[in-house]
Amino acid sequence: MAADDVITAVIVDDHAAISAGVRYWCEQASPAIRLVDAGDRLADVWTGPGATADVVIFDLELVPGRPDFTELRRLVDSGRRVVVYSQHADAATALKCVDLGALAYLTKREGLEHLIPAVRAAAQGMPYTAPSLSGALVADDAPDRPRLSPREAEVLRAWFTSSSKELVAAKLNITVKTVDTHIARVRVKYANAGRTARTKSELVSRALDDGLITLAELNQTDTAL
Amino acid sequence: MPAVSDAVGGQTRAQLLLALRTAILLVSVAVVCGLGLANLVRHLGSHEFPLAQVGAFAALAAVLAVEAVLLVRRRPWGRLRLPAVAVVLAASVLSAATLPDGRTASGVDWVFGAANWVGLVVLLDRPLRTVVAFLSAHELIAALNLVLFDDVDKGDLARLATGSVNVIGFPLCVAVVAAVLNRLAAEAAAAGAEIERVRTEEAVTAESHRRRQQRFAELADGTIPLLAGLADGSLNPEDASVQRRSAIEAARMRRLCAETDVVTNPLLHELRHCADVADRKGVVVELEARGHWPTPPVTVRRDLTDAALTALATAASWARVTVVGDHELVSVNVVADCGEVEPPRPATPGVRVEVLGNGETVWMEARWQPTT
Repeated sequence: MAADDVITAVIVDDHAAISAGVRYWCEQASPAIRLVDAGDRLADVWTGPGATADVVIFDLELVPGRPDFTELRRLVDSGRRVVVYSQHADAATALKCVDLGALAYLTKREGLEHLIPAVRAAAQGMPYTAPSLSGALVADDAPDRPRLSPREAEVLRAWFTSSSKELVAAKLNITVKTVDTHIARVRVKYANAGRTARTKSELVSRALDDGLITLAELNQTDTAL
Repeated sequence: MPAVSDAVGGQTRAQLLLALRTAILLVSVAVVCGLGLANLVRHLGSHEFPLAQVGAFAALAAVLAVEAVLLVRRRPWGRLRLPAVAVVLAASVLSAATLPDGRTASGVDWVFGAANWVGLVVLLDRPLRTVVAFLSAHELIAALNLVLFDDVDKGDLARLATGSVNVIGFPLCVAVVAAVLNRLAAEAAAAGAEIERVRTEEAVTAESHRRRQQRFAELADGTIPLLAGLADGSLNPEDASVQRRSAIEAARMRRLCAETDVVTNPLLHELRHCADVADRKGVVVELEARGHWPTPPVTVRRDLTDAALTALATAASWARVTVVGDHELVSVNVVADCGEVEPPRPATPGVRVEVLGNGETVWMEARWQPTT
């Protein structure tokens, strides 16, 4: 995707008000994002204008009480860049989506502030970590979780609790850019762990190319704990 | 509580009855195997059917043996009671029927003075009227045998009457004593239960009084001076700082009430109550928690929630309250648009409070390390 191209996104959500709200945010964004509304029809993500959209905004619970991880995996496996947009706030769901290869996980409450940045990042194949996901990552106590440095854990915790990168930077005496770097490194470590997915391996190789993280640091996570 | 006193009462009763039961068994064994057997052996020659007499004796001895076993195992007669009474009466009938003519209630009639005690052994823990009925049946067997099958003369009747005084009188006395003991035991158990109940009630009253005093003392520092100030007019309710203090004290009182609730996560529960106070005055509050942490003691929880409730009480329009925790660190955070705010001073040494101001937005964090 060329930089001057307009980003297109397709939204799957059975609530018309949510789709309308997201459409409004996309139109107000600068530069604007073109939105395809698939409603609750998953088929429209695979065919028609939805099939070529850069980013899929995916409501995890089209059927209430039954998060559709299978469809998420299918989308990720076919190379789609997915932003999960869910009313669920629990950590386990967020971690599972990240493990499956979603580039971002947002709760509906975070939409106003974080959906547009998340869609932009996903369009570039980059991960986006909203505060709720940050909290899930720092509280992850699974035995096979990647090992985070104390600083990384501290940044994640502060980002979750304050939901302001300026406040995090001020509190930890670092720059906002360093805050972003720490968060990005955590996502690379997570992308390197668990289930393999194209979005995840792309993320890891780009991080290695950019020198965001070294191979030694990544390998360390494999033997962690 | 009733279960406990029932157990205590049951125990008292069982001990009393056990002693009585043992005594009666010993008496019966002495009567049957001592007097009864001696009489039987001495007069065996004068019996027409010695085998029937020996059989009757064996039946009575067997009933006593069963009682001995039951006594050792601390078991009541239960379903065996009726067959046992039948055996005793049958032995009595058998022995009386095969008695030589005119020997009822004499030394030859050994069963007359033996079966009554065995019957008493079986019926000891039954109501008095049951024992009376049995003894009457026993007496009737002897009397009928005498009247129906023998030529009755005055001497026979006199012998039966004098014999009956011993045979009916002694067991009846014992049965009366047993009934009295039974009633006493029940009364003692009831009294014990009553004492127990009164004591528990007293303990509960004392404890709740202590708690009330403690709560009152906890409110004395903050709420009471505020209320006193408002009452005597030295504090103006329109003053912003007075309003803030009121909001904080209101949240503290809510928290105080929430502290005694039994919930899985007391810290979150109390934070929710603090958030609710802010919510009521129109502040949009987000409350999120991540991770699992050990439950902090109540004084630590107060320090942790104090920071949040101070900020919440003074927030203008929104607040974000978050808790992140694991085994090493519990961190309670509040970010809100409350401008300048005086951070509370934690009372417990393990808690640290940090405040970061960024214009109108204030971030207050209270940390607790469970290990220290």
